Amino acid sequence: MSDFRLVSKPALSDRTPIVGKHISLEALPEGHVILVMGKPGAPAAETQPVSLSDGQPNAVRTAGPGQWLVVGDQPRTQKEIEALFTELGADIYGVDQSAGRVRILVHGTMVERVLGKGTSVDLAATSFPVGSATVTLIGHIATHMTRTDVFAFELMVLRGFAESLWDDLLEMCKEFA
Amino acid sequence: MASLVPCPHCGARPKEEFTIKGAALARPTPDAGTEAWMDYVYLRDNPRGLYEEYWHHTSGCRRWLVVTRDTATHDIEHSRDVALSQLTDIRP
Ligand SMILES: [Zn+2]
Repeated sequence: MSDFRLVSKPALSDRTPIVGKHISLEALPEGHVILVMGKPGAPAAETQPVSLSDGQPNAVRTAGPGQWLVVGDQPRTQKEIEALFTELGADIYGVDQSAGRVRILVHGTMVERVLGKGTSVDLAATSFPVGSATVTLIGHIATHMTRTDVFAFELMVLRGFAESLWDDLLEMCKEFA
Repeated sequence: MASLVPCPHCGARPKEEFTIKGAALARPTPDAGTEAWMDYVYLRDNPRGLYEEYWHHTSGCRRWLVVTRDTATHDIEHSRDVALSQLTDIRP
């Protein structure tokens, strides 16, 4: 028994969100994040991760060839996740990453300008339309980025980098907030 | 050094997203002999012009690529996914 109470709290619980006319920054609920790995190029693989999702828009995101991240706001128990994994076909595997990755929402009309300071990905809506997802460096931090709406991007980072990325994003938002 | 590297999966990305492993050489057979293995492990040609090297898209799709790069002009001629292009791979 440890001498002090172990308290589980969200990684960004002590950060204050930005709510602005042109840019807003908020930490999303730490629900579930499931990494799904299949064989790159396998024909049936594309549809497999969908069976794990809660059906919300953009719940299934590509994360490189043959890999997807299934995300949602509601936490899932170990039992629920294991039950979902049994529905996956052969040669495709799921890993529960809910405790390991943190999601941040950046939205507002200036969102492309803000993120453009940190990544080289072409964020124009024509080349990175709603639903697109990729992994890229934002500054020095590898980040999974999804466009969830015309002016909204969700960023997902490893838990240990969440505070650093948040603080970088604050600086990047400053001139528009 | 080229600053934008074309990834077959992610498009043009800055070199900072990659890790470079070095020359993509044909691996000798296990019984090729000490001399061939010494060459493979330790000796490099340092050519002027086009040559192939392994790049890992570490902060991106995390795939191993073979990038054809010109050591004189830094131009990148071509890049391909190692595992997905086994047929055209340089391994014997
Ligand atoms: Zn890539």
